[in-house]
Amino acid sequence: MNSYFQKTTHAAPLAVFRIALGLLLFGSIVRFWSKGWIDQLYIQPKYFFSYYGFEFVKPLGEFTYVIFAICAISALLVAIGLYYRAASVLLFLSFTYIELIDKSTYLNHYYFISMICLMMIFLPAHAYFSFDAVRNKKVSADYIPKWCIDSIKVFVCIVYVFAGLAKVNSDWLLEAQPLRIWLPAKNDLPLVGWIFNYTWVAYVFSWAGCLYDLSIPFLLSNKKTRLFAYIAVLIFHVLTAILFPIGMFPYIMIATALIFFSAEFHKKIIERLARLIRIPKNVLALNKAYAFNSATTSKVLIIAFVLFLCVQVVLPMRHLIYPGELFWTEQGYRFSWRVMLMEKAGSAQFIVKDSEGKAVAVDNTKFLTALQEKMMSTQPDMILQYAHMLRDYYAGLGFKSPQVYVDSYVTLNGRLGKPLIDSKIDLAKETDTFSHKPWILSFNNEIAGF
Amino acid sequence: MTLSKEYRLRFLVVFATIVMMSCGGGNSEPSPADNGKDRQVILAHWVDNIVLPSYDNFKVKFDVMKTKADVFKQTPGVPALVEFRTAWVEAYLEWQKVELFEFGPADQTTLRNFFNIYPTDVAGIGSNINDPTVNLNLPASYARQGFPALDYLINGVASTDDQIVMFYTNATEGAKRIAYLSRIVDRMNTLITNVISGWPSYREAFITKTGLDIGSSFGLVTNAYVLYYERYIRSGKIGIPSGATIATGGSVNPDKVEAYYKKDISLSLAQAAHTAARDFFNGKDVITGVEGPSFKSYLDALGSKDATSGTALSVIINQQFTKISDKLNGLGNNFSQQVQNENQPMLDTYAEMQKLVRLLKVDMTSAMSITITYTDNDGD
Repeated sequence: MNSYFQKTTHAAPLAVFRIALGLLLFGSIVRFWSKGWIDQLYIQPKYFFSYYGFEFVKPLGEFTYVIFAICAISALLVAIGLYYRAASVLLFLSFTYIELIDKSTYLNHYYFISMICLMMIFLPAHAYFSFDAVRNKKVSADYIPKWCIDSIKVFVCIVYVFAGLAKVNSDWLLEAQPLRIWLPAKNDLPLVGWIFNYTWVAYVFSWAGCLYDLSIPFLLSNKKTRLFAYIAVLIFHVLTAILFPIGMFPYIMIATALIFFSAEFHKKIIERLARLIRIPKNVLALNKAYAFNSATTSKVLIIAFVLFLCVQVVLPMRHLIYPGELFWTEQGYRFSWRVMLMEKAGSAQFIVKDSEGKAVAVDNTKFLTALQEKMMSTQPDMILQYAHMLRDYYAGLGFKSPQVYVDSYVTLNGRLGKPLIDSKIDLAKETDTFSHKPWILSFNNEIAGF
Repeated sequence: MTLSKEYRLRFLVVFATIVMMSCGGGNSEPSPADNGKDRQVILAHWVDNIVLPSYDNFKVKFDVMKTKADVFKQTPGVPALVEFRTAWVEAYLEWQKVELFEFGPADQTTLRNFFNIYPTDVAGIGSNINDPTVNLNLPASYARQGFPALDYLINGVASTDDQIVMFYTNATEGAKRIAYLSRIVDRMNTLITNVISGWPSYREAFITKTGLDIGSSFGLVTNAYVLYYERYIRSGKIGIPSGATIATGGSVNPDKVEAYYKKDISLSLAQAAHTAARDFFNGKDVITGVEGPSFKSYLDALGSKDATSGTALSVIINQQFTKISDKLNGLGNNFSQQVQNENQPMLDTYAEMQKLVRLLKVDMTSAMSITITYTDNDGD
């Protein structure tokens, strides 16, 4: 074991990864900004759904643009490897801060990026082919500890495998849900659209997607199958980019998968880049291994990374300790690489009453954006948060200790809708915890699988 | 992972089927063009065989009303008033068959705001009569025009027909009053004419935007349709008068019924609107009466059904439409009296309508995969 952590490998793969990550994130921010989503998602809304334990993360009004600017600039600095440590810390903090503002914008790939950025802070990704390496000979190295690259590979494996395991369920494999609903919506695509009229296509896509997720990290790891695997990566993610509104995610995964390629492959990329910007070859060949500040630093980092990866394995399985159907209650659903698994929609009519006989039916559009309302109406923890917002709002209007009830109705993967929350429960009195929420009504149906 | 024996077997069967299908292809199935999932066919059917003929039918009735209104304007008298009123009832009933088309030209004009916002603003009508140049486009004017304002002006200004005629023949005020009456009718004529003439140039864009995203025609129509049923049939016609909505605090509002001053047509208006909504769901051709491409045919083509009972979603929705029709049939002609004398049947009707709203708003839109926002989404 000890000898494994002594092993070194060429720094080129991590340098390429750093450049790709920085540029793609910069592109993501520019895209996000230009579509007006900063305003739409973080400035326009009157209320925000904070994460449990992160209530101190507040929207910043117009200052939100500054956060995005910081995020974009630090992404560029990471790409070119200038002031890398500071830039990577800022990138992680600014990106994560944005994601923590509102639960209704949660996407698994944002969480993926946050976690990757967190790891990147501590990895010597600036040792090679970076401005820092040119400016500071102490940092400069062309060999780095092997575990530095392997930790990213392991993390990517965890992501794919759990995404695959999540698809091993009866809705996905036996009913081809929700693809059976989503694919016909794309039947007006030029050339290929007609194929989505066939139900069997949804089955093929479901099974292929599941097998893809479960096998791709291993096929990428193995030298013999790597090229084939990468072609599969390209086809799979380009297809998802065409079919679903998932933004930059496909391109980020296409770039990330490169990390599995050999050092020789990445050296060639770097050499090409170097020739392009006229950097002499001797800058790249140093024959020097990167050293952490001290042996203790190195040990602490290794322990921290092992712990981090263990947490990443445990987190997606935490739903096992909750009773009830995961897709219905969503207790333990987030941060678990459960992507594209549910067509879930609902409506939630809130009623606020007080002891003096005041009563009002809440118009959700006065409090929430369309996106927030859509997310809230199917997710119990957000329903509770919203109920508390309403409680406080109507208390401010003179309601005496307001009671909040919800008449909810949710459909999941084509099942006829039914109430999600017990309409007799006063949500104003319930508190949000990590323990099971007994006021979520039973699903009364089975989705077999992991 | 827990898997019962039954599920293990089912996984195996589906897996084997897929392997065979992937190898053998599925070319023996019917061509996708005629299996009902072509949204362009539905959009074209909506425009050509439902929306436009419905507008034409309405325009015929409306023109009759306008003619009668002009006669009344020229020679105010009880016979002219009675004929005007009859034509108004006919036109109002026909309006119920087009109010749901608040998309495209009607949406740009916000036609409903100028045709059917009630209860009408009696005091506002009074002040508008005295100010012939008042801007009728402003939101404050919505409830001072359209069918509800006419309802007041030809049924509500006095208790007998003789007195109503005298309201318009009054030596000092009559001319202003009849001018306002006439202004409203002319304005309605201009608006509906604009909407109808706006369709031919909009048609092409309408039927080619075949997506299901927020700007698509299918999305527009679905949202307008569901909103109409929820807000203007369920709440407007039944919920608010009966106090079924919490917003009314549970107390009845006999003065907030549709056609309050005419008194005896609130049921027929509600029935006409409900039937129009149902016919639209089923794609009933307005001229031939035959069902065509529609929400129903699309849901059937998608195979949308309740997973537990196996019943098709379109059947469940139609059953709910029938339940509501039955409830409506049990109500009296005059909702204003109904809510005061026996409100429970109104509340029961509302409850059934609420169930339908959910089926349309949640189950139907989810089954059709209609998106509501532009932003990225990974389906969770």
